[in-house]
Amino acid sequence: MIEPTPAAVREYWQETLGALAHYPARPEIELLPLRSTTFATLFGVRLTSLGPYRLFGYLSIPTGAGPFPAIYYPPKYQSVLEIIPQGTANLQRSRYVTFALAGRGQRNADTPYAAMFPGLLTEGIDRAASYVFRGIVADSVRGLEFLLTRAEVDPARVVVAGNDLALIAAASTAGATHVVTTPALFYKTAELAPKTQAYPLEEINDYVRTYPARAEAVRRTLAHYDLVSFAPRVAAATLLMAGAPGTLLDGAALQPLAAALRGPVTVYESRQSLYKDGLYAEQWMAAQCDIADVESILPEHWRG
Amino acid sequence: MPKAPAETYQSTVRKPDDFHAFWEAVLREAAAVPLEPEVIPDPLRTSEDVEVFQVFYTSLDQVRVAAWYCRPVHRVERTPAVMVLPGYQMDPPIPKEWARKGYAALSVAPRGKLRSNRQFNPGYPNLLTYNIVDRHTYAYRGFYVDTWRGIDFLLARPEVDPARLGVTGSSQGGGLTITTAAMRSEVRAASAGAPYLCGFADAVELTHTYPYEEINDYLRLHPERRAEVEETLAYFDGVNFADRISCPIIVNIGLQDNVCPPETGYALFERIGSADKHLYPYDGHGHDAGRARHTAVVDRFFARHLLGREVSQ
Repeated sequence: MIEPTPAAVREYWQETLGALAHYPARPEIELLPLRSTTFATLFGVRLTSLGPYRLFGYLSIPTGAGPFPAIYYPPKYQSVLEIIPQGTANLQRSRYVTFALAGRGQRNADTPYAAMFPGLLTEGIDRAASYVFRGIVADSVRGLEFLLTRAEVDPARVVVAGNDLALIAAASTAGATHVVTTPALFYKTAELAPKTQAYPLEEINDYVRTYPARAEAVRRTLAHYDLVSFAPRVAAATLLMAGAPGTLLDGAALQPLAAALRGPVTVYESRQSLYKDGLYAEQWMAAQCDIADVESILPEHWRG
Repeated sequence: MPKAPAETYQSTVRKPDDFHAFWEAVLREAAAVPLEPEVIPDPLRTSEDVEVFQVFYTSLDQVRVAAWYCRPVHRVERTPAVMVLPGYQMDPPIPKEWARKGYAALSVAPRGKLRSNRQFNPGYPNLLTYNIVDRHTYAYRGFYVDTWRGIDFLLARPEVDPARLGVTGSSQGGGLTITTAAMRSEVRAASAGAPYLCGFADAVELTHTYPYEEINDYLRLHPERRAEVEETLAYFDGVNFADRISCPIIVNIGLQDNVCPPETGYALFERIGSADKHLYPYDGHGHDAGRARHTAVVDRFFARHLLGREVSQ
C-alpha cells in the first residue's frame, strides 16, 4: 500500500479547512420555548459549513450572568441529534453553555443529504477527497468556531465531548481547553476492523468484502483520519475514555494515542457500567471547569 | 433523608376501564391492512455466515415500515426467530449476532425511525409528545402496532418456526418487548432490559433526563393539558399491558438507571402476569442494566425456550 505521507495528510486537512473558511457561518438563531426552562434557554441554530451545507444545532444558555463553562457535543455516529446526551440531567444546562451539532446527514441537517446508519462510515470512502467524513470534520470544526463566538462562553473552560470527532475538532481549530473523547471510528481502523464483527467497524468489513479491489483505497483514505496523527496538535487536557480491559479499544490498545497527545491525559477504562463511566466523566468535566457542587447537576439516581 | 429502596416504590399508574377495548379496536383496524411484505437481499451486509435482507411491510395508517432481517446461512428447515426492538434514539441495528446464534432475526424500525420516516416524521426529540393529548392519534398508537406487525412478518416466513418466536430489546426496546409479548400470544419468550414506556407518570417525577423530560417540557409549556396527557399515557403504559403477558419472561434493570428509573422497573415486574418471570436488578449499573453480565443470561434464556437446549455458564 502507498500510505499518504504526513505532508500529504497535512495538506489534505489544510485544504479542507481552507475551503471551510471560504464559507461564512451565517448563523440563524431561533428561540425554542418548548425546551426552555427557568434555568436555561434553548435555541435552534442553523449555520453553513463546507459544501456549502447548512447544519443544525441546539444551543443552551444558562440563566444568569455569565460567562459560563461550555460543553460542545460534535456530531455523534447516529441519525438523531440530542439536546444533551440521553440520561444527562437537564440541570447540566443550568451550569454549562451546551451546543450539540448535527453533522450533514443527521436529523435536522438531512436535507439535501440524509445519512444512513449503518452506511455513513463508508460513504465515499474509496476517495479521500470525496469521503463524507471530510465534510463532517469540517462541520465539527464549524460548530466549535460558532460556539466560541458566543459572549456567554468562558473561553478558559471549553470542553469538547464526544467520539473521535471531539479529538479531531480540538486538533483542527483553536479554542478547546478540555476534551473528552471515546474513540470508536478512526483509531487504527483498517487494522482493527477485521478483528470485530460489531458495527460500526463492521461497515468497513462489509465494504471491503463487497469491493475487495478497493481495499487499498479504503486504507489510504482512513490513513488521513487516524487519531494518532491528530493527537500531537491537542494541547487541551484530555480524558480518554477507553473500552473495558480486553476489548478492542481498551486502555492498552489506546496507549499510543495517549502518548501522542500533547496535553495532560487521563485514561479511563470502562467499567462496563453507564453509571460508573458516566459519573466519572461528569465529575472530571466539573472538576476541570471549577464546578464545585457537581452533585446538584447529576441525574437523581446518580446522587449519593 | 435516605432514599427509599426502589423496590418499595408505589406506582401511580392506573389502568383505564376501556383499556383492552381500545386496543382490541386498534388490532381490528390493523388486521384489515394487508402486510404486503418486501424482502430485498442486501449483498453489502451479507457475509459467509449470515444472509441480510432489507424488509418493508405495511402497518396502521398505511405506513410503510422498514426492518433488517437476518438468517443463518446454515440453518435447520424451521428456524426459531427473535424480534429485536430498538431504543428511543438508536438506529435499529442489523441483528447479525442473533443469526450467528442460530436464530432468524428481525430488527424493526417503527414509524419515524430512519428508513421508516417518509410518511411519519415527528423527530427526536418530539416523538414522545406527538399528539399526546389524544390516544387515537398519539404517536405510539401506530408505533406499537408497527412492532406487533413484525410478528406477522415472521409468521409469514417459510423458514421460521411459528412455535418458537422470541422478542427482546432494551430501553424503548424493553418497553416494546413488554407490549409485544402482551399483545401477541405467538411470542413464546421475552427478554426486556431497562424498560422504557413503563410508568410514564412516575418516571417524569423520578428523573429529569431525556427522553422522559420531553413530557415535562410539554407540561411546562402547556400546564392546562395535564389531564389529557395523563389520560392518553395510561393507554400506552407498559405497566398496564403487563398482566396480559403469559410467556416466560426475564427483565433486567440497573439500580442507578438515570434514564428509566428502577422504581418503574419494579412496578412493571410486579404487574407481569406470567408465572414464569424473573427479575435481574443490577446494583452499580445505570441504563446499561448490567448488559455486560446479563447478555449471557439472555442467551441461556432464549436457548432454553427457543432452541430447546441448555447453554453452559
